[in-house]
Amino acid sequence: MKRKIKILFKMPMLIVFIIILLFFTPFAIYSPGESRNRGVVTALGIDKIDEEYEISLLTFIPTANQSYQEKSSVISGKGGSVAEAIYNAQIAMGRSVGLSHAKTTVVNEKLLEEDVASSIDYLSRVASLPENTVFVCTNKTAKEILESSKDLISNLGLKLEQVIGYNANNLYVTDTSLEAFYKGYFSPTKSSLIGYLTIEDEKTRKEENSEISNSQDSGSTQTQSSQKNSDSSSNSNNSEAGLKQIVNQGQAVLLKNGKKVALLDVEQLNGINILNPKSINQIITVDGIEKDEQTISLQYKIKTKKTLISSKFENGYPIYNAQLILGVELVEINGVENSLKVNTEFSNVTDEIAEKIEQKIKEQFTNSINILRDCDADVLGIARQFFFHNRKEFVRFLNKIGGQEAVSQFIDYVVFKLNVVVEPD
Amino acid sequence: MKKISIRQCGVIIVMCIFANKILLMPSLMYQQTSADSIFVLLTLFLLDFAMLPIFIKLKENYPNKKLYDILRDKLGKVVTKIIYFAMLCFFFFKCLLVFSVTYVYFKQQIYQDEFIFLALIAFLPVINHATISGIRAFSRTIELFFGVVIAGFVVCLAISLFTPISTPYFFVSSAKDFFLSLYNHVFAFGDFIILFLIMDRIEIKKGQTKKLFFFALFAIILVVSLFYLFYAKYQITAFMHNNALADLLVFSVQFNAIGRLDIIAMLTIMFITLFQMEIFSYAFCDCFVNIFPLLNKNYSVVIFDILFCILYYVFIGRYETMVTSALYWLPYLAIAINYILPIILLVILIIRRQKIEKKDKNFI
Repeated sequence: MKRKIKILFKMPMLIVFIIILLFFTPFAIYSPGESRNRGVVTALGIDKIDEEYEISLLTFIPTANQSYQEKSSVISGKGGSVAEAIYNAQIAMGRSVGLSHAKTTVVNEKLLEEDVASSIDYLSRVASLPENTVFVCTNKTAKEILESSKDLISNLGLKLEQVIGYNANNLYVTDTSLEAFYKGYFSPTKSSLIGYLTIEDEKTRKEENSEISNSQDSGSTQTQSSQKNSDSSSNSNNSEAGLKQIVNQGQAVLLKNGKKVALLDVEQLNGINILNPKSINQIITVDGIEKDEQTISLQYKIKTKKTLISSKFENGYPIYNAQLILGVELVEINGVENSLKVNTEFSNVTDEIAEKIEQKIKEQFTNSINILRDCDADVLGIARQFFFHNRKEFVRFLNKIGGQEAVSQFIDYVVFKLNVVVEPD
Repeated sequence: MKKISIRQCGVIIVMCIFANKILLMPSLMYQQTSADSIFVLLTLFLLDFAMLPIFIKLKENYPNKKLYDILRDKLGKVVTKIIYFAMLCFFFFKCLLVFSVTYVYFKQQIYQDEFIFLALIAFLPVINHATISGIRAFSRTIELFFGVVIAGFVVCLAISLFTPISTPYFFVSSAKDFFLSLYNHVFAFGDFIILFLIMDRIEIKKGQTKKLFFFALFAIILVVSLFYLFYAKYQITAFMHNNALADLLVFSVQFNAIGRLDIIAMLTIMFITLFQMEIFSYAFCDCFVNIFPLLNKNYSVVIFDILFCILYYVFIGRYETMVTSALYWLPYLAIAINYILPIILLVILIIRRQKIEKKDKNFI
C-alpha cells in the first residue's frame, strides 16, 4: 500500500486527475439534463405589431416516447426590441434559448417595409446562430408559419428549411440564408433576394384550386401542408376554415437597402437565373407549332446549360455579352396528336422551335432585367463582373455617372447582348 | 540532455504558425485591408521566414549552446535578462491571446454561458504537466496527434470547396491601411522565435535543415489557403465572422441538413489550442528559469498559473481588452522580439565570422 501511495505521489498528474474526477463526477450525476435548462430552438419568427416585436420560437422539447415523433411547440415573447422579446420568450419557456440548431428565420412582410437589417441585428450579433440559417419572409405573421410548420413536421416529416431548401437548390439556385442576405446587403449595390412563403386558409385554398383546375392553368403552386385525416377534420378546433397551410409558390422578395422593392414569381426568378448554369430543369412552353395540319404546343425541359459571359466597354458604354447554350428535352406534347411516340422527330429541335425557345428566353431575361433596373437592384452581380474584368473603365464610367454612390444605377446603362443556342439534349 | 528530432521541431513550428491566425485574425484583418489582407499575411510570413536561415546559421555556429549563454557572452548579463524578460512577456501574452480567442469561440458554439472555471481546470493541469515533463515529452505528444490535427484542418478547407466560392477583390486598400495592418497584426507572428529559445534542445543532423523549411512552408500554405478560402466564401461579410476555420464549414444551406458539421473544426481547434498553450507556457517557464536561476521549473509553473489567472480576471478577462491590446500596444513588444532580436543575433554571427576570418588570415 505504502509503495502504491509513493508511486501515486511520484505522478502528480494522476493526483490531479483523481481530484478532477472526484470533483466533477458528483456534478455530472446530480446536474439536471441540459434539456431542462435549455430549449432547442429549430426555427425563429419575428413579427412587428405596432411598435412592438413579437418573437416566436419553434422549440423542440426532447421527451421520451415510443413513436419517435418530435414534439415541437411555438413559444412567443413580446418586447420593444428583439433581444427583449427573446428574453421574455425565455421566461415563458422556462428555459434559456439555444439558437445553435435554429435552421430557419422567418420575418413578417411588414418588417420589410423598413430596413430589415435593423430588426435582425440581434441575430447577427448572436454568434451562436448558424450563418447558414435559412432566411425567409411570409405574407402573414411569422408566428402563423411556425405554427403551420409543426403540422409539416408531424404529418409529413418535412421541415421548413427543407421546403425552402428546395427553392434554393432548384429555383433561385442561390443560398437564401441569413449570410446570403447580408452579402447582398453589404454589397455596393445593397440588394439581395430572400425566399417567400405564403400561408393560406384551407377553404380559400380549395376554392382557388377549383378555379385553377377550371381554367386549366395549373401554374407552379405547390402546397406543402399536409391534409388532415377525417378524425381531425371532425374536430372543431381543426375546422377547415381555421386550418392554415404553408404554400410554397417559389416566390422571392427582392430587397434594396433591406427594404422590399418587388415580389418575384417563378417566371421572373427563372429570368434572373437564366445565365446561371446551375439553374436547370425549367419548363419552356412552345405554342403554335404546326404538325400534320394541327396546331400543338410543346413542353421542353432545360437539361443542360452552358454560359459564356464577357464584358467590355464600347464607345465608353458597358456591353454585357452572354452566350447561352441550352440542351433541351421534349417532355410533353399538348394538342390533338394523341399517339405516343418515343424518339419522334420532335427530339430534333427544328429551326422554328429553336427560334421560339430563343424568343421566349430573351423575353424572360429582358423582363427580369427591367425589374432589376426599375428597382436599382443588381442581384446578378453585373457591376461586379465589370469591376473584375474592366476595372479601370468601370471606375471611369462610374465617376461619369455620379461616383461610387451610382453603382446601383450602373445596371441601367449596361447594354445586354444575349445569344441563345438551342440543342437537343 | 535529451534532444528533440527535427520532425518534432517541425511540428512545434507548425503549431506556432497556426497560433492566433486561424480564428479571429482573418476577420480582423479584413476590416482594415479587405481581401488585400492576404498580401499583409504573406509579407509578415516572408519576414518571419527570413528568421529561419538566421536560426540555422546560429545553430551551426553554436550547436550545443543555449541562447541565454550566447547573449550573455556577447551582450552581458543585464541586457540578456532584459531580453529574456521581454520574451517572457511575449510568450505569456501569446498564450493568453490563444486562450482568450479559443475560449470565446467555445463559449459561443457550445456553452453559451461563461465556463471559465471549467476551461481553466481543463487546460491548466495539462499545460503544467507538459511544461514539467519537458519539451521532448510534449513534442512527442504533438507528433502523435499531428496527423489528426492536419487532417481536421484540411477537411475544414476541403468542405468549403463544395459550396460556391468566387475570387475576392484584390488591390482595393491604400498603402497606409496596408502598413497599419502590418503593424497591428505583427503580434500574431514571430513564430520562429521559439526555435532560438530551444536551440540547445534541437538535434539537427547534416542535411536535415530542409525538413524545417518544409514544415514551415507547409503550415504557411495551409494558413494562406484558409485566408483565401475564407475571403472567397464570405467576401464582403468576412468581417462578421470571427471563427474562420469553423465558419468555413457552416456556410451553405446545402449543409444545413448535416447537423453540426462544425464539430470537426471544434476538435481541431481544441487540439491546436492545447498544443500552442503548452509550447508558449514552456517558453515562458524557460525564460523565467533563466531570469531567476535560483528558482526551478516547478516555481515557474506556479508563477505562470497565478499570473494567468490573475491577468485573465483582472486585466485581460475582457475579450475586447485582450484583442485591442494585441492590436495596439503588444505589436511594440512583438517588433522587438520578432525582428530586433534576430537582427542582434545576425550581427553576433557576422562579428563572429569576421573574427574567424581575421584569425585565419593571421594564421596564414
